[in-house]
Amino acid sequence: MKHRIKAENLAILYQKAAEKFGEMPAFAIRESALKWVPVSYASLYDQGLNLATGLIELGVKARDHVGLFGDNRFEWILSDYGVQICGAADVPRGRDVSDDELFYIIDHAGIEVTFVETEELQNRVLKLRSRLPALREIILLDPKTKAQPGVKTLQEVCDLGAALRETGDKRAEEHIAGIKPDDLFTLIYTSGTTGTPKGVMLTHSNMVSQVINLPGYHNCTDRVLSVLPIWHIFERVIEMYTLSFGGCTYYSSILTLGEDMRNVEPTFMASAPRLWEKLHERIKKGIKTSHPVRQILFHIAYFLARQYKNSEYFISDKYLKMKHQPTWKHALMLPLHVLRWIIVLPWYGFFNAAVLERIRLGAGGSLKATISGGGALPIHIDKFFNYVGIPVLEGYGMTETSPVISVRSIENLVVGTVGPPIPETKVRIVDTETGELLYPNSNLPYNGVAQRGEIWVRGPQVMKGYYRDPELTQLTFSDGWLRTGDIGIITHNNCLKILGRSKSTIVLSSGENVEPEPIEMRLQQSQFIDQCMIVGQDKKFLSALIVPGIQEFKQAGFREETIEELVSNPIANKIIREEIKKLTSQSNGFKRYEQLRDFRILPVTFEVGTELTNLYKIKRHVVEKKFSHVIDELFNNGSSQNN
Amino acid sequence: MEFTTQLLYPHDQALLAIMIFVIMLGMGASLTPDDFRAVIRKPRGVFIGFLSQFGLMPLIAFSLATVLNFPPAFAIALILIGSLPGGTTSNMFTYFARGSVALSISMTTASTIMALFMMPILLKVYTGGFTAQISASLQATGTEADFVIPTMNIISSLILVLVPVAMGMFIRQKWRDWAKTAEDTAGFVGILVILYLILTAFIRHGHLFLQTPVGVYIGAVGLGLAGFFFGYWFSRLLGVYPLFQRAISLETGIQNGPVSFAIILLSFQEPVQSQMIWLAILYSTFIVITSSVITLRYRKNGRRDWNIYKNTSIHNRLFGEQYKTQYPKGFLPKRLLNDPSQGTQPGQKRF
Repeated sequence: MKHRIKAENLAILYQKAAEKFGEMPAFAIRESALKWVPVSYASLYDQGLNLATGLIELGVKARDHVGLFGDNRFEWILSDYGVQICGAADVPRGRDVSDDELFYIIDHAGIEVTFVETEELQNRVLKLRSRLPALREIILLDPKTKAQPGVKTLQEVCDLGAALRETGDKRAEEHIAGIKPDDLFTLIYTSGTTGTPKGVMLTHSNMVSQVINLPGYHNCTDRVLSVLPIWHIFERVIEMYTLSFGGCTYYSSILTLGEDMRNVEPTFMASAPRLWEKLHERIKKGIKTSHPVRQILFHIAYFLARQYKNSEYFISDKYLKMKHQPTWKHALMLPLHVLRWIIVLPWYGFFNAAVLERIRLGAGGSLKATISGGGALPIHIDKFFNYVGIPVLEGYGMTETSPVISVRSIENLVVGTVGPPIPETKVRIVDTETGELLYPNSNLPYNGVAQRGEIWVRGPQVMKGYYRDPELTQLTFSDGWLRTGDIGIITHNNCLKILGRSKSTIVLSSGENVEPEPIEMRLQQSQFIDQCMIVGQDKKFLSALIVPGIQEFKQAGFREETIEELVSNPIANKIIREEIKKLTSQSNGFKRYEQLRDFRILPVTFEVGTELTNLYKIKRHVVEKKFSHVIDELFNNGSSQNN
Repeated sequence: MEFTTQLLYPHDQALLAIMIFVIMLGMGASLTPDDFRAVIRKPRGVFIGFLSQFGLMPLIAFSLATVLNFPPAFAIALILIGSLPGGTTSNMFTYFARGSVALSISMTTASTIMALFMMPILLKVYTGGFTAQISASLQATGTEADFVIPTMNIISSLILVLVPVAMGMFIRQKWRDWAKTAEDTAGFVGILVILYLILTAFIRHGHLFLQTPVGVYIGAVGLGLAGFFFGYWFSRLLGVYPLFQRAISLETGIQNGPVSFAIILLSFQEPVQSQMIWLAILYSTFIVITSSVITLRYRKNGRRDWNIYKNTSIHNRLFGEQYKTQYPKGFLPKRLLNDPSQGTQPGQKRF
């Protein structure tokens, strides 16, 4: 906390960071594995002022909305700086935006000036221009692309501003002084998992509160590796947080991640669960192909780490506490755990140093902590990283809460939960059916702890509302509380545990409510199942759509090159059937109505942008629509096939 | 004190021999010819380490043995241990203590070779009084022999333990995967054998623990601790940066235990051999505990300058050698403030 900058708004944060950290690198852009270009705090702020002056000259006013379409690159950050210094808000979206969405966003947000990253985006916006009379200026980010007539380049606007500032133009500084805490810094359109894009209005005070309230101890020697889409709120909060302590953000990509982790040796990282799954897969593969003696050493090390950590969690009261533990039981267990902890300690110490450190080196070796967010982290992956000594802090939030509601901290690392709510944030658990307040409620046992219901949030990070949609805003809020639509409970050690999404709940014709996520996560533990989706709304039973892991099938000796060919392979179908049976059996804790009756192998994988959101969540309505014929056939034939 | 029974049975000796072989093989497997070249390229840190290892440490051992009034065989063993080169254990501890592993490795290689010359000299200088005592007691019992330090035997034992090191290095050049395995296995085997020896000693010769004078325990624990302490402050005095101070400190305190076993078994006979082995076992046991504690402490204290060192060197790796990280005012600790390398080089010249 000591090293963190506190500022009233983001523009002042940029200014203070430039004063304090000056020539320290703020961002680093990859040119090749061992060649990165740093941009200092001072230079970034200076360029930001130039751009802002240029934008003001182009007619951008305080509280305007400026479009910002593109993906991770330095010019994106510069534009973000420029827009906020103007006192305006940017409206960001990635390159994968569809033409319809592009038109909708520019029109709905009333955008007059917009940045576009690439030639392709430039041409798409130009094509739409005739239907968008309000759109005055288009500014191209990519310096390697030629601007079409009527389009300015980012450099031109910066040069314009620089020339003006040399003549004593102080309008940018005036604009900074005019920013109010309640002004928007961004307007993010989310398509989320359902429906048409909604414009989430996030204010300077929303983001500033996050920067102050996030747990963590970092300073200007920290290196943050970034792989998330730059415009996503989860990435942006990490960026702003990094700016506040003077760290440097290194832009990596999924393709170069392994290499970059070893070269940059990041101390901090944030990503969606999918990335941790990939990393976990890679580490496991590395172990499997290593020398047999070392494999044995790893298994001993992992076993010891598990014993040691589990006792440590118990002793420090940091285990998943869904039920109340009677005092006598705790008193009985405690000495046993202390004993185990002491016996295992020297062995764990040795193996941790000799074996597990090698695993950590695969992830750079310097990671103090990592944050996972934007979806549920499968429990076995969560445990794996925490056991081998890479602390994973799972967090929970949504764009509407800019985004962090709760997150584990190093001191409060309860595996299986998303940690306690961050400071200044209040959480309620409300019954989805009756609307009754379950937590905190002094009439219920333990003040409503461990009661399951919808999560409601109130705090400084909660959005101002949906832009130009008061009805939806009203529906989302209830007495000043934001209704998240997620189902969760508060554990007995004051952590939040997410159980699923009320909107994705499947109601069977028998009236049973089923959360599909836990079943899907369970199925994905199979090496043969890459992705899957559970279906069965209003049906008698559940079934699954399966995207098989083609690589694993190949390794198992199958000759099929594509998933399409696998669909009709009876042996592949048999393997998957057995996997499903094994994983979701009643002995594994699944209820009878949670059993899957049937499944279909899909001929394609789920892709980001179509079936998946940018954080790899399934867009259920899209999959349902696209594969409606498969689902229909599944439920029409399902019963006969099983008889 | 006299040992009435032999401490080690033949199969224990065989076990020790295997352990020595495995550990020295593992040590060789972790070394490359580059490590030897590094010693010549950056001799300053290694030289300070050399002074600390062969200047301070034997002197500490001698002083402890004298002050604590050691029985002569124990005294000779303590001085022998004090004059040993460093091993790979110190490299591992240095790594976790956020010290310079490169310097630790350089010091290990340099001292292993230098030991061939230094050990005979050091033993001659420091053990004179104690060998005379043994000779006197031998003559009192009617034996006609003088007790002398078997210098040539010690040198040949040292050369003998270098054979598995050379084999390890060869494996490293040829089969990387096996070399890694040998490295990982070595430490594990070492700990297992030491534990086995302690346990069997406890079961078979429980009285040994009681018979051993308290002073000997203090000496066995104190040798390592004093080595850490003086190594740390001696290098500090010469203006070495914290990163390298920690490496020198640990390298000074942690000696190559297996080599001491090899020398004692190959060069000394009863009645002194069992007592010397016993001290070597005690030292090897306590050093693991003391260096773990010291390492945890260094790790905590060294976090700040380690983070600065890491960040600076990664900036140079990614942004080019010329890039100079300019930390905000008041951030760098005083000692690093005037150092252009920000602690990535062993330290400013003071002599």
